[in-house]
Amino acid sequence: MLELKDVSVSFAGLQALSQVSLSARAGEVRALIGPNGAGKTTLFNAITGYVPIASGAIMLNGAPIQGLSPHEIAALGVRRTFQNGGLFGELTALENVLAGLHSRIDASFAGILFGTRAARDAERAAVARARELLRTLGVAHLADQPVKSMSGGQQRTIEIVRAVAAEPPLLLLDEPAVGLAPPLRAQLVELIRRLAGQMGIAVLLIEHAVDLVMAAADAVAVFNGGIKIAEGTPAAIRADPAVLEAYLGHG
Amino acid sequence: MRFYLIPLAAAAIPLVANPYTQFMVNLMLVYILVAVGFNLVLGNLGQLAFANTALFGIGAYTAAMLMAHAGWPFWLVILPAGLAGAAAGFLASVTALRGIRVYYLAIVTLAFGELLRWSYIHGERATGGTDGLAVPRADFFGIALDSETARFYVFLLIVTVLVKAVSNLLRSRIGRAIVAIRDNELATASLAIPTGRYIVLAFALSGFVVGIAGSLFAVLIGRVIPESFGLIELILHFAMVLVGGLGSLFGSVLGAVVLTALPEFFRRFPGMYEMFFGALLIVFLLAQPRGLAALAARWWPQLRDRYYRDR
Amino acid sequence: MFALQLALSGLAQGAIYALVALSMCVVYRATTIVNFGHGDLVMAGAFVVYLLAVLAGLPFLAAATLAVVLLFILGLLIEIGLIERIKAGPHIGFALMCIAFGYLLRGIARAVWGREVLPMPSVFNFPPVFLGELVITADALVIFAAVGLLLAAFFAVFYRSSAGRVMQALCQSERGAALVGINVRAFHGVMWGVGAALGAVGGVLLAPITLLHPGLGASFLIKGFAAMTLGGFGSFGGAVLGGLILGVAEQLVGGYVSTKLIDITAYLVIILVLALRPNGLFGRAIAEKV
Repeated sequence: MLELKDVSVSFAGLQALSQVSLSARAGEVRALIGPNGAGKTTLFNAITGYVPIASGAIMLNGAPIQGLSPHEIAALGVRRTFQNGGLFGELTALENVLAGLHSRIDASFAGILFGTRAARDAERAAVARARELLRTLGVAHLADQPVKSMSGGQQRTIEIVRAVAAEPPLLLLDEPAVGLAPPLRAQLVELIRRLAGQMGIAVLLIEHAVDLVMAAADAVAVFNGGIKIAEGTPAAIRADPAVLEAYLGHG
Repeated sequence: MRFYLIPLAAAAIPLVANPYTQFMVNLMLVYILVAVGFNLVLGNLGQLAFANTALFGIGAYTAAMLMAHAGWPFWLVILPAGLAGAAAGFLASVTALRGIRVYYLAIVTLAFGELLRWSYIHGERATGGTDGLAVPRADFFGIALDSETARFYVFLLIVTVLVKAVSNLLRSRIGRAIVAIRDNELATASLAIPTGRYIVLAFALSGFVVGIAGSLFAVLIGRVIPESFGLIELILHFAMVLVGGLGSLFGSVLGAVVLTALPEFFRRFPGMYEMFFGALLIVFLLAQPRGLAALAARWWPQLRDRYYRDR
Repeated sequence: MFALQLALSGLAQGAIYALVALSMCVVYRATTIVNFGHGDLVMAGAFVVYLLAVLAGLPFLAAATLAVVLLFILGLLIEIGLIERIKAGPHIGFALMCIAFGYLLRGIARAVWGREVLPMPSVFNFPPVFLGELVITADALVIFAAVGLLLAAFFAVFYRSSAGRVMQALCQSERGAALVGINVRAFHGVMWGVGAALGAVGGVLLAPITLLHPGLGASFLIKGFAAMTLGGFGSFGGAVLGGLILGVAEQLVGGYVSTKLIDITAYLVIILVLALRPNGLFGRAIAEKV
């Protein structure tokens, strides 16, 4: 579904990514691991159109997407979460998820303006779906709470709900486990496996927590200094000497 | 439907108000639109734009010039005034879209507003220069609006329609998109929301509402002069939105109602107006930055502005 | 010749704009806040020196020094008392706060002086200098000298002294500076004081040559913005050059096109620069981090 060929990204003379090739397949969870600054988030930013690539190609279902703007790429079915949290702080959890459903709500400007039945029906349906999603993930009780008053773990969960609300074929999760207590981490693993297994979503996952990666991922790609240094099954990666060096070298 | 209870109740006001009070109430209606329009850009979209008095003035002058020079009846100039405001709002949004730096929008809109005032002052016959233009008697589909009561009902109708329209827009995916841009523009784009389009929409809508407010103002005061649309006026707009509640539709109405009458008290003492409003803004920024609306919502949670509709 | 004479008087005006722009830039670089009330601080400087020199009868130099010191304290107090307290809020809050105290200052000035416009008696009473056909008035000479010295001192301190290096570090990264133990809050307060003081010098130099009225602040705010925008937002050198160019441009426009346009030259500069060359002459582009 997603194919990166020899992608390079540089900022102000710094080579953030060098000739990176990667692919993501439907129903598969591929984890990206590596020390901080290895270029993982930059890779996500390149895929989603937030940073330009210097060379290489990014293909989504065979069509090139490099150079498109972030909302155009999102419209093609790509969703993501952000490392520093991308929720809309002043809005409630419900409203955040509704924002995630934006592209699915069939209400025109005129319809909304005049309060036509069609527009109101579309809105009501969206609200029902949003509540359902929150319920499925066990956070229905947070629906009417402004997200800025929630704990980090709760916020991360809401952000994931928002990202999957529109059933995106490709999902990029940037360190979703940060700040999550152990029982919630187990839930997160289960959720990720469900997204891939049951909903057939292609998931790219940036994570530092090794246990989470081993439990959730089908494949692991290791990055260091902007280069992909290894790729394989979780078990194979764990035993790879190059990987061990990359991690040991960074205490 | 509950929304219409307020205007319905307000319809009884002329029964108990004397002409001066009625004039004040009419002025409040004008400022409700001003605050609602300003809040769209300042509070909901979260952009620091200083264009509001410019939009207000464009609406007022458009209405006045069409009535005075082209002989148009009042009901016909309302839409052009709104469209002129919307066009100006659109221009302002172009700067916001370039996203060069947060303060550039403020500076450009400030410059734009002052440029407009300069052109009113030097517009000679067209704009009446510093003396301004006298607004001819207003005709609303045959009804002469020469009493405060007549003006009240027409203003009430227009304000009710516009506020309801804005409410509909805010409590929909459009409103959510606008506020999302304020809270996290980058994340908004990641949800396939074309941020540029909604920024332009917010500015144009704001301009439309404030432009129409300007046309009402022109009729109410009877004269448009450049001085009415300068920086002194701007602080009143800022105060209404901040005191009422940034980003709150209900707050805009509150702020307008509470503060409209105040400038009258200060006209006699030079400097009191600026000192009072300056101090008021400071106090609210320190103590109650979310305005009176937030205070009210703490006691009555159902007053909290919502961005969706259940029914 | 006519053009040169215009340019000369433009440079004198521009020198004051340069000061105003530089003082705004100091506050912006040190605290990332654009002070929308800055024009009113300049106005306050002018009014205080008027109060001290005309009403209290102090000799001009003493009045000027005292005015600058008082404004330094005012700037410091505003930062500590008002700006610091709303640190946690959105940037809009800062802008509104600056506008608010600007209005407060304007109101105080208007309350004390009413609707009058105040002429200040000429201070520098030595004869003008003649360079061939060009006339340089005493006021202009003083402005050039004062501003020139001040700018030289400022750049010397900022770019060459160790205190200046500390300031540069703080402007670059507050987190880093805080980690090294530098008191960032004190830095903010002091820089606001410095900005206010520099602005006050502008006001002090203005007082003898302009008719003072409480609304002065607004026009100086715009000129400061125009100068900063022209020179490149955030650049000290740009602010100074922008101010000088603006002053000259105003006089040339007034002399060759129409005096009516002098008032709006600054607005036109702002709009033109942002439309054609948004980073100004020496500005830096800033990318946003995702």
